[in-house]
Amino acid sequence: MKVLQNIAGASAVVAVLLMAGPAAAMPDKPAGFGNRPLTMIVPFGAGGGSDQLARAMAKAMEEEAGLSFQVINKPGGGGTAAIPDFMLAPADGYTVLEHIDNAISAYAAGDIRENPAEDWIPLCMTQITFSQIYIRPDDDRFSDWESFVAYAKANPGDVTMANLGKVGSKELVVMQQLSDALDLDVKQIAFDKPAERYGALIGGHVDVLFEQPGDVRNFLDAGQMKPILTFLDSRPDAFPDAPTHLEAGADFDALKRFRGFYVKKGTPQDRLDYLVAACKAGFANEGYAEFNKKKYMHLIDSYRDTEGSIELINNAVATYRDMYKQLGIGN
Amino acid sequence: MEQFLDGTFNLFGDGQAVLIFALGLIGGMLFGAIPGVNMLTLGAVLLPFTITMQPEHAVMLFSVIYCAGVFGGAITAILFNIPGAPENAPTCFDGYPMTMQGRSGKAIGAAVSCSAIGGVASAVLMMSATGLIASWAVRAFGPQEVFALIFFGLAVSASIGAENLWKGWLSVFAGLIIATVGTDPVGGIPRFNEGSFFGLEFSSYYLSAGIHFIPMILGFFAVSEVLTQAMHISKGTRERPKAGLDFPTIAEFLSVRWTMLRSIVIGFFAGILPGIGATLAAFLGYSQAHRWSKKRANFGKGELEGVVASETANNAATGAAMIPLLALGLPGGALTAMIMGIFQIHGMEPGPLIFVNSGDLVWITFAAMFWANLFIILLGWLQTKTVVQILRVPFRWLAPGILLLAVIGAYALRNLFIDVWVMFLAGIVGYLLRRSGYSAAGVVLGLILGKLGESAFSKSMQLMDYNFFGFFERPISALLITLGIAAIIVSIINEIRGADVQKALMD
Repeated sequence: MKVLQNIAGASAVVAVLLMAGPAAAMPDKPAGFGNRPLTMIVPFGAGGGSDQLARAMAKAMEEEAGLSFQVINKPGGGGTAAIPDFMLAPADGYTVLEHIDNAISAYAAGDIRENPAEDWIPLCMTQITFSQIYIRPDDDRFSDWESFVAYAKANPGDVTMANLGKVGSKELVVMQQLSDALDLDVKQIAFDKPAERYGALIGGHVDVLFEQPGDVRNFLDAGQMKPILTFLDSRPDAFPDAPTHLEAGADFDALKRFRGFYVKKGTPQDRLDYLVAACKAGFANEGYAEFNKKKYMHLIDSYRDTEGSIELINNAVATYRDMYKQLGIGN
Repeated sequence: MEQFLDGTFNLFGDGQAVLIFALGLIGGMLFGAIPGVNMLTLGAVLLPFTITMQPEHAVMLFSVIYCAGVFGGAITAILFNIPGAPENAPTCFDGYPMTMQGRSGKAIGAAVSCSAIGGVASAVLMMSATGLIASWAVRAFGPQEVFALIFFGLAVSASIGAENLWKGWLSVFAGLIIATVGTDPVGGIPRFNEGSFFGLEFSSYYLSAGIHFIPMILGFFAVSEVLTQAMHISKGTRERPKAGLDFPTIAEFLSVRWTMLRSIVIGFFAGILPGIGATLAAFLGYSQAHRWSKKRANFGKGELEGVVASETANNAATGAAMIPLLALGLPGGALTAMIMGIFQIHGMEPGPLIFVNSGDLVWITFAAMFWANLFIILLGWLQTKTVVQILRVPFRWLAPGILLLAVIGAYALRNLFIDVWVMFLAGIVGYLLRRSGYSAAGVVLGLILGKLGESAFSKSMQLMDYNFFGFFERPISALLITLGIAAIIVSIINEIRGADVQKALMD
């Protein structure tokens, strides 16, 4: 009996060690760092997707790395209003910025001067996700991608899509690529508040919606929205019925939505290393993993380290610049 | 009903829940009542703690803060001419003159009772038909209807608080122009964030966030009130208002019953539409009371009916604002967005399924809002007897405190320092506005509705292929726009004639 208990105990220890693998790899805390709370700037409002991510990640990093965070929302200007305060803060590792791929398209379009891959140092990306096109399940004009395309071709310019309208946004660029490839004419309706688009689709004021699955999970679960196309190389397990854009005949590498964490360039190397390790450990944290799963972030690899993030950003900048040249936006 | 009783039982059957309920009620009221900070400040401070709370407690806490906070803002509006929140701005028009006449107790009493009545009525409506109302509203009100409603609201409320119609409209237009600062709602193009001003080059990411109405309100009302009172004190002309402790009589309440009923209906419908909410409700409630009252000449000079109209309407909007949030997962304002965040942090998604998956929680929320509104009467009655005593404190002691809180409140909104500068600038402008017969409330109304209106207008135009007359092809928007145009024409005719014959013309 004793032996059994010992074995059980030992395997529990092994399991804990395995689970806590990244945490065990935490480097020594730089002397004095983290004695006071770090500031995490969220460039969007309290309660939104970025805010939830920042708070979940702050909690995970507190548990894994013993750092405490004060999450501060500085919303406005589609994420640009927070940037000057971040740039004014000293590069001492005490100020962490959460930002999304909007910062990359804003940089590519020349709306902001800071290059997220060079003027900031990405600690990690912890949410990377693909987009889909959604319809109302009770729409009697079309029920899947095939019938949607048939309807759109029969009524060119009549189909309306709710989209986030910022010139050169990921949404508009991807839709432009799709429309060019398939010769579709879908009228884009620019919305300024993300949640308003959901009401517009459900209420029948627009015909289709472009969004990421994690943001509309409640509507998917309730059967109020249905995906008809996935912008990904292969069909994810969770959405076996919706074809990918490749299957639909559009051959391009679709831009993804990604959210991650940055510090300023010039942050001392030991503190930077510690924060990067903390971010990695936070991503592996059980509570955080559960949070990400709820947001459908487990369907594709949602983590990038500093090098991976820089590569992701530089690729996205190149794609945006290329598309902007074709579309004639930005400089 | 059974579910409501279950919810109530869950709410009061647990000691910790009762404690949280009481703290939320008092906290919401206090934060609402202190100029500068408001229920949003309290909400933002408490949000991180909700992660470790039970979801029932967290959601209940925020709904109670919401109800109590909307009422709390009325107290400072009445006592000091400083609305605690934008939706309390119309309460100033008659509440503050009542204080100057030594009838502060009556004004606060009316605000308390009407907030509670409006809130309870809307909670009852919410409990009876959330799902039905939400699905009707989301279908019937597209961008076109929302724009038409905002146009109608502006058309009937434009001259409120101004010396005459022209100054009223000019104030509103100033607000509409300020609303265009920042990124535009269609292309995300930054406006007014860089350029040159008399040869001085300027460029700022901060301005891409736009000018928010909260620092404008703090400047226009709190800072400029402090400046105005300081001038009176230095000239030795300030009279300290007497603290009146009388509660309004039953007869007085009965005489305003139609105003109350009208404001409940207005408030409820304005609250259902995401993003419109309590502010338009209060302005519409006030302007409609003014329009239909027998005592219209007395409005703006200390008429109880004015306080009743705006306070009933803004609290009636609270329950209604929970409807699109719970039934559709569409938050209408900053505080409802925080409540949505709490749901999601605890792994629940507001939407039609929430009644199935978390029915108990929804009914606890309903019960909490219902009881919070009832308890407002009790606490408010106590406050009538106590808060009014603040008037006995010399203003020179109150002023630094008001300014300090205003600075904190402006900064806490978005943690951006530009909001503090905007507040002080608005304070100086507001001081000049008051002496010139223009309406600070009009500027704020233009700013709030300008942002919402531009967003709705641009979406409507895209949907209608830029055909303006498309508004007249949809019955609800056609009706609202026609009524709005008629209201403008009638008010212009009246202004030119200089006669108070509006009623005769309309009938």
